[in-house]
Amino acid sequence: MERGRGRGKEAYVMKKQITSGTGAAISRVEGRLKVTGMAKYAAEFPVKNRVYAQGINSTVAKGKIVSIDTSEALAQPGVIKVITHENALDLQGHDKEMPAIGTSSPMAVLQSPEVHYYGQYIGLVVAETLEQAQYACRLIQVDYAQETAVTDFEAGRYKAYVPDEASDYTRGDVDSGLASADEQLEMTYITPIEHHHPMELHSAIASWTDGKVEVYASQQMVENSVTTIAKTFRIPESDVRVIAPFVGGGFGSKLQTERHVMLAIMAAKLIERPVQLTVTRTQMFTNTTLRQRNEQKFRIAARKDGTLTALVHETLSHTSTYEQYQEQCGTPTKMLYASPNARVTHRLMPLNLQTPFAMRAPGEATGSFALECAMDEMAWRLGMDPVDFRIANDTQTDPSNGKPFSSRLLTECLRIGADKFGWDQRPAKPNSREEGNWLVGYGVAGAARAAPYKTSSARVLLEVTGGEVYATVQTGATDIGTGTYTIVAQTAAEYLGIPVERITVELGDSDFPDSPGSGGSWGAASFANGTRAACLQAIEQLKQKAGITATDVSIERLLLDNELTRYTAEGTAEPTEEFEQHSVYSFGANFAEVWVDRDTGMFRIKRMVNVGSAGQILNPKTAYGQIIGGLTMGAGMAIAERTKVEPNFGNFITRSFADYHVPVNLDMAEIEVIFLPEEDKIANAMGVKGIGELGITSVAASIANAIFNATGKRFRELPITPETVIMKEREPGVV
Amino acid sequence: MRPFTYVPAPTREDALAAATTNPQAKYLGGGTNLLDLMKEDVERPTHVIEVADLPYAEVTRDTDGGYTIGAMLSNSATANHPEIRKNYPLLSMTMLAAATAQIRNMATNGGNLLQRTRCPYFYETSMPCNKREPGSGCGALNGMNATHAIFGWSEHCVATHPSDMSAALAALDASVTVQQPGGGTRTLSITDFYRLPGDQPEKDTNLEAGELITAIHLPAPVFADHYYYLKIRERSSYAFALVSVAAGLQIENGTITRAGLAMGRVAHMPWKLSRAEAYLVGKEPTAAHFEQAAELEMREARTLSQNEYKVPMGQRAIVRALTQAYNREA
Repeated sequence: MERGRGRGKEAYVMKKQITSGTGAAISRVEGRLKVTGMAKYAAEFPVKNRVYAQGINSTVAKGKIVSIDTSEALAQPGVIKVITHENALDLQGHDKEMPAIGTSSPMAVLQSPEVHYYGQYIGLVVAETLEQAQYACRLIQVDYAQETAVTDFEAGRYKAYVPDEASDYTRGDVDSGLASADEQLEMTYITPIEHHHPMELHSAIASWTDGKVEVYASQQMVENSVTTIAKTFRIPESDVRVIAPFVGGGFGSKLQTERHVMLAIMAAKLIERPVQLTVTRTQMFTNTTLRQRNEQKFRIAARKDGTLTALVHETLSHTSTYEQYQEQCGTPTKMLYASPNARVTHRLMPLNLQTPFAMRAPGEATGSFALECAMDEMAWRLGMDPVDFRIANDTQTDPSNGKPFSSRLLTECLRIGADKFGWDQRPAKPNSREEGNWLVGYGVAGAARAAPYKTSSARVLLEVTGGEVYATVQTGATDIGTGTYTIVAQTAAEYLGIPVERITVELGDSDFPDSPGSGGSWGAASFANGTRAACLQAIEQLKQKAGITATDVSIERLLLDNELTRYTAEGTAEPTEEFEQHSVYSFGANFAEVWVDRDTGMFRIKRMVNVGSAGQILNPKTAYGQIIGGLTMGAGMAIAERTKVEPNFGNFITRSFADYHVPVNLDMAEIEVIFLPEEDKIANAMGVKGIGELGITSVAASIANAIFNATGKRFRELPITPETVIMKEREPGVV
Repeated sequence: MRPFTYVPAPTREDALAAATTNPQAKYLGGGTNLLDLMKEDVERPTHVIEVADLPYAEVTRDTDGGYTIGAMLSNSATANHPEIRKNYPLLSMTMLAAATAQIRNMATNGGNLLQRTRCPYFYETSMPCNKREPGSGCGALNGMNATHAIFGWSEHCVATHPSDMSAALAALDASVTVQQPGGGTRTLSITDFYRLPGDQPEKDTNLEAGELITAIHLPAPVFADHYYYLKIRERSSYAFALVSVAAGLQIENGTITRAGLAMGRVAHMPWKLSRAEAYLVGKEPTAAHFEQAAELEMREARTLSQNEYKVPMGQRAIVRALTQAYNREA
C-alpha cells in the first residue's frame, strides 16, 4: 500500500487486488449449487399447501367443443377442480384480431370453445398429486364439432399476406443490379418447424395472497412476465411478482409468458391454494412456441470479379390463425454484404398450428442458411474461393441503413479462421477427395448478429464483515444457463475492487431493479453495464459523502471514512446516442469439415473452427460454453432437428426426444472456438457484445457447404439426413 | 398413468399363474419400453408382474456347443459378456449399437425381443392404429410412413420392429425358449417367434397368453471372424435405425461356406435374407456377388409413399455390411 491523498483524512491507493474481474476464465460462481441440486428451478420451490395441475389438450386441429364431460374426472380421489372454458375466469384477450405479438402481450386461455390447433389447452385438472391430475385428464370426454384444418404449408400458401409489422425492404434498383451481373442464381431454401426444447420444462407455481399474485416461473424476462400477467388478469403490475432465479435454458421459448402460467394463476385463484403446473415434454411441442417452417426464395447476382450486384430474399412463413409472428429471415441479407441493390420481403400464411415465436437467432439462424449457402453457390459459379468472395464484399458501412459499424471484424474472422482451419487444404473441386469410403469436404459461412444493448439497472448492497467488504448485487436479470451470475459477480469484483468470492449475486426477481432479462443477445452487455453503473454509483456516492476526490480509493476505505458498515446504491446503464448512430453487431465465421459416406448416406461433422469478434469477453469459459452450445444447436439444425406435422390429423408426430432428434455427443466434432480481441466502446462502456446467438448463426450453411464440397450435392432444405443424401443427385456441372 | 396392481418379485410359478388368470397382466423386465407406453396410455395393463429378478440371467454353454442367454440378463451384460464377445461378436456389436448405455443397462433380453413398434400412430392415442386398437385403421399407410416397412406389410399395418438385437439373432439363426403357463416349455426359431402383421397386427409375436420368455439359444459359435452390424441412422447414437444389416460370413479357402444376413427396421419382424444367404454359399466374397445378393432381396421390396429411399439404402447397406464383414480382421 502506498500513501495517497485524502482530504484531511488518510486514504490509501490500493495496488490492484486479484479480483477475478472481467476477462478472467473463472468457473461459474453458481456451479456448485447446480451440480449439488441446490439451485432451485421454478418447479422445485417448496411452496406450502400446493396442489398440482395438468393441462388437457385438444385432439382435433380445428373445431368447436360441443360438450365436455368432466364428471368421471371429478369423481376421482384427490381431484379438486376441472377448469374448462365453461367455468374459467374471464381474462383480457387481444385488443384486435390477429395482432402481432411480443414478449408482453396478454395470454388469455380457456375463453371460448373454439379450437385453433391440435394440442391447444381446452382445460385443466387440479388435484392433490400430479399422478391424480394426470390420470383424471384421461377421463374427460370431449365432443367436438370438427372443422377442416389447414396445417400443410402448400395448402396454406394461397392465403399468404403482408404482415402488420415492417416486412419489406429495398435499396438501390434490384432489376438493374440483376441486369448488370455476369452471373445470377435463383434458389429456394427451406428450414423446417423446430422446437426450442430447453432442458427445463416450462413450469409455474402460482399463489394469491391478499389479492396479489406471486409466481415462480421459468421465464427469461421477469419484468415482461409481470406485464403479461397484469394485463391478462387486469390487475396492477404492482400486484404481481415473478421469481425465476434459475432457468434451465430458454432459447426464446421462455421470452413470452405462456398460457400455462395463466392457467396456474387462474387455478390458484379459483381454488384459493398455490397451484403448480409443469408442461410435459410432449406438451412442449404443442403448448410452448415453435420456430415455423420458412421457405426462402433467394436471388443472387454478381460480376465476374466477385462484386455482388443484387440480392433478393423473399421469405414465406406461417403463423397461427389467431396471432401474428414473423421471423425476419431477411435480416442478414440486408446488412452482411455490400450489395448496392437488395430486396427483402416477408409473407405470412395462417395455419392451424400454434403461434411461432423467436427461437435462438431469429432471422439470422434461418436467414443466414439461405444467404450463406447462396454465397457459396455463387462463389462456385464464379470459380472463386468462398472466403475471398465474402471478403470482396465486406464493408465497414451498414448497407441497410448507411450507418457506420461500431466495429466489424468479418474479414479478420474469415482470414484467421481460414488459417487456423487449414482452409488452403480444401478440395478445390467438389466430390474430389476420398478417404476410404468417405468423401471429404470443407465449408465456410460468415455470421453477423446484432449486439443490442438495453437499459438495465442493478442494486449493490455493501457490507463490512470482519474488516472486509462483501457485496450483494441484485438485478431483475436472469441466468438461463448462460453464466449471468458469474459475469455479474466478475463485473462487481472489477468495479468494486474486491475478490469475486466476496460477491453474492441475486437474480430473477421482479422486485429487484429492472433489467431486460435474457434474450436477443442483449443480456451480457446490459447486465454487466447495469452492474457497473450500480458499483460506480456506490463509489461515487461514498466519495461525495466523505468528500474524497482521489481516484483509486478502496471500497473498504470509503466505507471506513464514512463510518459505515453497510451501504446500498442503485445504478442504471442505457444506450448512448453514439450507440444509436452506429450499427452494432458481433461478427463471426464458421469453418466445417464433413465426411460423407459415399454409399450409405451417413455423414460425420469431423471438426469445426469458429472465430468470433464480440467485443470484450467477460469470461472466456462461459463464453466458450455459449458458442459451443450455439454450434451444437446449429449442427442440430443442419442434421437433426425437425418437427413433423401429420397431414391428415394436423398434429405433430414428433412428440418426444426419441422422434425429435438433437445431436448427441458423438455427432459433435472437434471444435475450436476463437474470440478475436476487439475493443468496441461505442457498443457500451464496457465494450461487451452478445454471443448467445452468434454461435448458431451460419453453422448450418457451413455444414451444407462442406457437404457440397464433399459430394457435389446441394442441400437447400434442412435437416440433411442419410435419406436425403441417398436420394439427392449431384449438381449439374459437378464431375 | 392408469391405476394397476404390481407384483414385485414373484416366483416363476406365481408369475405364470398371475399372468394366466388376468389377461390384462403384463410382465415387466427392465421397463424401458412398457413403462413409457403406460405413461403414453398405449399399454393399459391392470396388473404388472415384475420378472427381472427371476433366475434367468446367466450365459451358459450348451451340450450342442451353442450358448443359452438368460432372458432376464441385461442387454449390457449380454453384449459385454466375455463368452458372447468371443464367440458371437456379431451379437455383441449389434447390441452395443442399440439405444444408450443407460437403456442397455436396464433393458432385458426378453424385453428387447418384445419391444413394440415406434410407429407414431401407435404412440398417439387420438390417431388410428390397428396394432393399438384393432379395427381403427392404419394411419401410416397413407400418412407419415418414412420409417415404415418395405417388406411383408399388409394394408392393416406397415409398422416395423425396432430391435437391433433381433436382427443379429436372425442372422445367427437363434431361437427363443418360452415357459408355458401349464408348466412345459417350447422353443421357437427367431423367425417363428415373430410374425407378419397380416390382419392381426395387434399380435407382434406368436407367444401365447401367459407365456414367459426365459432364454435365447444360440447355435454353435459362428461368424467370429467375419461379421458386421451396419446401422444407418439419423444421428450417431440414441436413434433407431432407418435401415440396419447384420451380416456374418464363414469363409474357407476363399469361398463362402455359410452366410448369415438379416435386416432391421424394414419389416414387422427382423427380416432374414434367406435368398441372399443361399446365393452367397459356395461363392467367392466379391463385390459383384455382394451386389447380386443384395439385389435378390431388395427387388422384393414394396415401398410406401415416403420410404422409397429404403430401397437404395438397403441395397447399399447389405453390400457394405458384407464388405465390412469380409474385410474385418478377426
